[in-house]
Amino acid sequence: MIRRKSLVAAAAAVLMISACASGSETSGGSDDTLSLNGDRADFVEAYEAVGAELQEITGYGIDPRNVPSTENYQQVIRSSLQSNSATDLIKWWSGYRLQDLARSGGLVNLDAEWEAAVDNGWVNPDTAPSFSYDGHVYAMPMYKSYWVIFYNKKIYDDLGLSVPTTWDEFIGNAQAIKDAGITPFFATQEAGWTSFIWFGEILSKLDPQFYTDLMNGEASYTDEPARQAMQIWADMYAKGFFTSPDTAWDDEPALLKSGEVAMVPMGTWRNAIFTENGMTDDDYGAFVMPTITPDVAPSVIIESGVFAVPEKAPNKDAAVEALGEWLNPDVQEVWVDEINDISANPEVPIENPVLTSVTEQVQQSEPMELERYWEASPPALVEGNVKDLATFMVQPSPDNIDATLQKMQERADEEWAKWEQG
Amino acid sequence: MTEPAGQTAVRPRAPEPERKAPRARNRGSNVRYDGFAARAGSAVHLLPAVLLVGVLLLVPFGYTVYQSLTDYDGLSTAQFVGLDNYVALFGEERFHRSLLNTVIWMVGTLLLPVLLGLMIAVLTNASGWATWVRYAFVLPYAISGTATAVIWGFMLRSDGAINQVLGAFGLDELQREWLLSWPMNTIVMILANTWQAVGIAVILFLVGLQTVPRETVEAGMLDGASGFRLFRSIVFPQLRPVTVVVVGISIANSLRVFDVIWLLTNGGPGWVSETLAVTMYRMTFVLSEYGHGSAVAVVLAVIVVSVSWVYLRQQMPKRG
Repeated sequence: MIRRKSLVAAAAAVLMISACASGSETSGGSDDTLSLNGDRADFVEAYEAVGAELQEITGYGIDPRNVPSTENYQQVIRSSLQSNSATDLIKWWSGYRLQDLARSGGLVNLDAEWEAAVDNGWVNPDTAPSFSYDGHVYAMPMYKSYWVIFYNKKIYDDLGLSVPTTWDEFIGNAQAIKDAGITPFFATQEAGWTSFIWFGEILSKLDPQFYTDLMNGEASYTDEPARQAMQIWADMYAKGFFTSPDTAWDDEPALLKSGEVAMVPMGTWRNAIFTENGMTDDDYGAFVMPTITPDVAPSVIIESGVFAVPEKAPNKDAAVEALGEWLNPDVQEVWVDEINDISANPEVPIENPVLTSVTEQVQQSEPMELERYWEASPPALVEGNVKDLATFMVQPSPDNIDATLQKMQERADEEWAKWEQG
Repeated sequence: MTEPAGQTAVRPRAPEPERKAPRARNRGSNVRYDGFAARAGSAVHLLPAVLLVGVLLLVPFGYTVYQSLTDYDGLSTAQFVGLDNYVALFGEERFHRSLLNTVIWMVGTLLLPVLLGLMIAVLTNASGWATWVRYAFVLPYAISGTATAVIWGFMLRSDGAINQVLGAFGLDELQREWLLSWPMNTIVMILANTWQAVGIAVILFLVGLQTVPRETVEAGMLDGASGFRLFRSIVFPQLRPVTVVVVGISIANSLRVFDVIWLLTNGGPGWVSETLAVTMYRMTFVLSEYGHGSAVAVVLAVIVVSVSWVYLRQQMPKRG
């Protein structure tokens, strides 16, 4: 009797282990639901809302899953692409991070869906390179965030400042704010990735073509424009314009709201957090940072997360069909209303007045659209260089500029060679 | 007669029951058979544990060693690269810093939690009023490393509580960027970790103090020993088994510390405060250089096993 019970218990244990091993947590959804994996807990409600809209159009809803840590999420996705535990849809990053997955053969080609969206006028065809590898599209844009300077309107009003249109006005405003005992700009290396923000912003406003060439490995970090950008950054540090480099990244919205910091460089995706914190367009506004000199071509850094379909997705065809309708204005209106950012579909209206002002500025100046530093070069190169930029932020002395850029270029030589080898 | 206050850290305990003498075993002709049966019985009982350790520990370790000899990146097919990952690792300045930080953590985590744990246990065990003091030191042990890092982050950042308090008392010259310069960031993180880790040392030393026979302490007192001399010559030698355990735990904890560093400095600024565990995580999960990260894991495992083996070999009582 005891032996029989043991056998039954062993069989039950084997069944339980088999159930766990089937990867039910990360695999596909049911017949009319597509599983979607992401690393943004704040997007889960938006995924559900947009899933309801997609279900009306395609018959497929969305079952969102979330991995809280970005590092763990990347690990989960990389592993799942090679197994049968992939979800039907994955959230990822554009540019070289997308190419990293696409060139492994783990993602479905979305050329037909992209072309249909272009034909419908749902997306700007010029943005295709951000979502492509080897001339083929492998992802659809989640949103189109512009990198701008958010500013506290009350501080500007109290000090009689106006939105700067030239670099001199920009620095003049910062000095007036500093003189009033307020920290002009938010900057931190505490979150790791945040150390590239000011380097990217300054360089793109100094020489946007050089920025593009540098990101593509066609220019050197030791070239004069990069050195000049670091010098400008060091000068701004010397004037005491920035928060301490170990300021908590999570404190940024509160510091802007309370007026302890006057200006914050950030993508418009941050707008949702400002509004959730109770800020309205009476409290804050946004402007595209002016170019360093008037003769420089206007530019703005853009960023877009993406959705892609793994080759081994359980409901691959349904997922591709759903992404074909992703940029449909009916779907996008629900989506951007939830995430409070700008749609990749230029036809979709923007309700938020701060975001509206950003798109108006962009339409007026028709700037070059540059890819964000994080996605614009091979991931290992970017991850290493943000560490060097973080070290520079702690000791932003002009004496450290050449050594920092030299290290970044040595890494660029090494990582570009690895990237080319595949 | 009252017990002299502050003379000893030992509390009375119940007298031990008399031990019965072991029964003589039958040493007849079936001794060899009995020995084999006993060994077979032991093997059957050990088998589940051996299987568990084998499947959960040795197989993953073997796979990690294999992976450290490849250029696997988590996506493409792994190519065998021999010892290239190890050669590259030992040639990197960042790896040397990571190794140095690991040694600093080991020394700091050995000295501080062990010494403080012993001191707190002795002082709070000696006097009844200090129960709440004991709890104050033991409670942080119930907090996770993540929560510890968050709490100390509030205190140690440049705009944090410590600098604010120093400023409030006019001690501006003592304000520091605690987490931004090396080796200060490593030292303050060791202190933060000590705050959390000292609790287990206190508990173990308290248990050890309860087992010290009262008679030995009284004998020492009759011989004229008191205070620190009594503790050093009578009590501390009898805490040796507990001390071996506490030091062993501290060594293991120091070598695998991760959460406090990752959350307080992210291993930075740059790489300056990384230990081997953090380097392993960054290379594997941030850079997706699985082969490189596995090589760090193997180096770390070799260090942990070697240090633990040497230490336990020296400290554990010899058999037979």
